[in-house]
Amino acid sequence: MKTYEVFLKREGKDPFTHAGSFDAPDEEMALIYARETYGRRGEGEQMWVVPRTAVLSANEKELAMADRDHKHNDGLRVAELRRISTGEES
Amino acid sequence: MMPHAEGRDLVLSFADDELCVGQNHAWWIAIGPFLEEDLALTSIAQDELGHARSLYTLLSDDVDQLAYGRKEAEYRSAHIAELLCHDWSWALVRHVLHDIAEQIRWSALVGSSWEDLSHLAERALGEEQFHLQHGSSLLSRLLADERGQQRLTPAILELAPLGREYFVSSDKHLIENGIVTMPLAAQEQLWIDQTTGLFKQYDINIDFGSEAPSAGRSGIRSHDFAALHEEMTAVLRIDPQAQW
Repeated sequence: MKTYEVFLKREGKDPFTHAGSFDAPDEEMALIYARETYGRRGEGEQMWVVPRTAVLSANEKELAMADRDHKHNDGLRVAELRRISTGEES
Repeated sequence: MMPHAEGRDLVLSFADDELCVGQNHAWWIAIGPFLEEDLALTSIAQDELGHARSLYTLLSDDVDQLAYGRKEAEYRSAHIAELLCHDWSWALVRHVLHDIAEQIRWSALVGSSWEDLSHLAERALGEEQFHLQHGSSLLSRLLADERGQQRLTPAILELAPLGREYFVSSDKHLIENGIVTMPLAAQEQLWIDQTTGLFKQYDINIDFGSEAPSAGRSGIRSHDFAALHEEMTAVLRIDPQAQW
């Protein structure tokens, strides 16, 4: 058995989202089981079924290192300085 | 239109087959061979029960009474549909034999002069394609394996001849009145040909016997029916007003 990941897209502008994973012996059976496991109640209008081995996993340490203050600039400090300089009431 | 009594018998037999097979498939919930198969088979069970409900609706406004409230002799199910398959390999073989038959039976109702029945047949055929794809894909993979073939072959040899009962029904006026578009005998032959062809690939040669079994259609219930009926009416006995 191989493990597959399922992505569903609902009607409209929603993007594909991960629905879950499951096991199947091969691709043809994977499509059958994906439909019965994750789409039997009409949960999606479109479905992607991806073998887990085709998914590239990023390095977790590198991902953790990326969490730095200066990457979280939401513009609040700039907005505050601007208010002060123009004399606006906050 | 008010269909001829033969048409009502045909629909009742079909509905009873669907009810029994749906209930029998549902028995595998949580105990299927693996989670994905468990979900797939019981999802198919829901479809079969849905077919039964739609067919009963053509005959009566009180579907529960028709489905659950008749005396044993008033059911018309084929014995193969009533069989409790205690081994999953038997359940899989019955699933495939049943769905090959179902596809032929629905196809013969598309274009029926009984319009509601024709519409129902068109809708059911869409689902049937998935059922058959599921059953035959899994079966062929297991038959390609020596151990799988050892387990499945006895079930195939035993169950296949019983499947002929699916096509037992009086059709003298059904063709004349345009209720069905293909005589029952021709449907049965098509089923035998398709079934033979499927298993021949694996050197499994079925003896379909000289005569089709017909006890179920004539009102005689098989040994397993009582337990099946007991299970499917359990909720109704606890709460006769239950809604679902």
